Amino acid sequence: MLKEIINLTLLQHTIRTATPLILAALGGLLTQHAGILNIGMEGMILMGAFFAIVGSYFFSSSLAGVLMAVGVGILVGLLFAYFVIDLKSDEFIIGIAINILAGGLTVFLLRSIFGVKGAFSSPDIVPLPRFRLGFLEGIPLLDTIFNNHTVFVYVSWILVALVYVYLYKTPYGIWLRASGEFPEALETAGVSPRKMKYISSIACGVFCGFAGAHLSLGYLTLFTENMSAQRGFIAMAAIIFGGAHPIRTLIAAFMFGFFDALGIRLQVVGIPSQFTQMIPYLGTIVVLFVVAKSYIRKIKKNVEGES
Amino acid sequence: MKKFKNAEYLISLFLSILASLIIGAFIMLANGRNPVTGYVALINGAFGSKYNIATTFAKTVPLVLTGLATSISFRSGISNIGGEGQLYLGAFGAALIGITFVNLPGIVGIPLALAASLIAGGLYALFPAILKVRYNIDEVIVTIMLNTVAVLLTSYLVNYPFASEIGKMGGTEIIAEGYQLSRLVRLSTLNTSIFYVAVISIIMYYLLERTSIGYEIKMVGQNSNFSRYGGINVKRRMIFAMVVSGALCGIAGAFEVLGVHYRFLQHISPGYAWDGMLIALIVKNNPIGVVLMSIFFGALKTGSISMENATGIPSELISVIQSIIILFIAGESGFKTKIKSFLANRRAIKKAGEKNA
Repeated sequence: MLKEIINLTLLQHTIRTATPLILAALGGLLTQHAGILNIGMEGMILMGAFFAIVGSYFFSSSLAGVLMAVGVGILVGLLFAYFVIDLKSDEFIIGIAINILAGGLTVFLLRSIFGVKGAFSSPDIVPLPRFRLGFLEGIPLLDTIFNNHTVFVYVSWILVALVYVYLYKTPYGIWLRASGEFPEALETAGVSPRKMKYISSIACGVFCGFAGAHLSLGYLTLFTENMSAQRGFIAMAAIIFGGAHPIRTLIAAFMFGFFDALGIRLQVVGIPSQFTQMIPYLGTIVVLFVVAKSYIRKIKKNVEGES
Repeated sequence: MKKFKNAEYLISLFLSILASLIIGAFIMLANGRNPVTGYVALINGAFGSKYNIATTFAKTVPLVLTGLATSISFRSGISNIGGEGQLYLGAFGAALIGITFVNLPGIVGIPLALAASLIAGGLYALFPAILKVRYNIDEVIVTIMLNTVAVLLTSYLVNYPFASEIGKMGGTEIIAEGYQLSRLVRLSTLNTSIFYVAVISIIMYYLLERTSIGYEIKMVGQNSNFSRYGGINVKRRMIFAMVVSGALCGIAGAFEVLGVHYRFLQHISPGYAWDGMLIALIVKNNPIGVVLMSIFFGALKTGSISMENATGIPSELISVIQSIIILFIAGESGFKTKIKSFLANRRAIKKAGEKNA
């Protein structure tokens, strides 16, 4: 029994299910650093998944699908940024509005463009190319786990490194973080916090577009209603889990991807998977609790130290 | 001054809805359909016959409850985004009573089922409220996470320990007859829960607008420091608001079980709590506004089906329209500032021009 659950497929699935989480979480942590809590990621992923299908189907190219997803991601990111930054609307109201808009719009378009309800699949949709790392082919274990994934799997890992360098090793990263933490200081230094917030929001849209494209063009090449299935919220959980640090967030995303994959394996052998699926959500609450408690302890210590 | 503000808001609300409907009309045009036929079919579908009116009001029931739930929590400055989870637990609680105590007469059973849903929803909201006031943990994130936990938990319960005998259909057994609220209009799901909702709405209006508790809740939401100096127990008021909010969502779930499906289903809510939240946000947490806007949303939902049958426009168009309304309302004050500064600029330029000439 245990052998059926824990095997190489599980690890391979973990990598596959973690990828959209990593991509979306990277986008979300950029806005997080700019001082914006983006709960609209769920909708951004969903739109990305849908428009990736549209692009791939009509232009017979997966690249067109990805570009379409990214284009829509940029638009939604701009919309979000305009309302939150320029109109000073409540960020989470706009996030909810984007989620509901995405849910309605994708189903509406699914029916008016493709004339189907529920799901759309067609042999004319070109899937993302699979990628093989030549040097792993001789090693049986690593070959099964790490090879034959879509290009986004590898892109997501590279992006983690790039985001890390961007945030902590370049002046732009410092500006971005300052736009969230000390916007006044940044303003005095002659950099517009507004611009940095816009950039982070658009980047979030792009990354969520990637995540969506990976979902719909990656392994199954189909779109189903509500395909994002809470991934935007799990990505948010990963960000909180990882303290908005790219590498720690990556680890959290892998962990949540593992539990997701484990849930699928459990279902295959007929064990209820609901409890493993709960882990990311409950885990996030525990982390928030631990962080808050240690913060309170620190304050108490400081107060005692002074008196 | 307050009256002026209200009038200004009503104008913005009207313009927002109008603009969203116009955008909807353009989407219909882009689809090659006639927007006039579309909207006529929508209005007919919502209010055209006794059955249609009944269906509109049946759809209004969960929206009013979740909308009022959002109002009380947002007024107190604590954001309950966990309505969906509280609704699921409330619905399950009611169903559990309904399949366990099958011999109770309705007059005892229904209040008992409602009490169970109220307690389930209220307790599920109490937890994030305590985390918020004791440890200052962001309730938005916690309640979002708890939503999925509740959906998963109830999905486990109805697929395993409480699965219906007739195979895995993701639902409990049918609740005993005594618990089933009677239907009011043939074929429609409108049931006696609408009367309960009317009473609850009046109580909530009274609580929020006419009692000192309601006033304090509003104060806490507007300025918690000021309220603390004023002698209001801020934490207690926040917890109270959150628990009432959760209880209302729980009751919304109970009515879906007792009045509509007669059993708990694992996907019992298509996002009622999110719709209710939109409604409360649009009317700025005003209880009377919540009731009216819920009827409007219920009419849109009901009418959109007829619109689809008559013209082939997918009914999901209305959720696009609804989210555009909320975008306009959320951007309201921002838009106003933009327009005002734009006008001021133009005036300044004009003046400068006159001086030069």
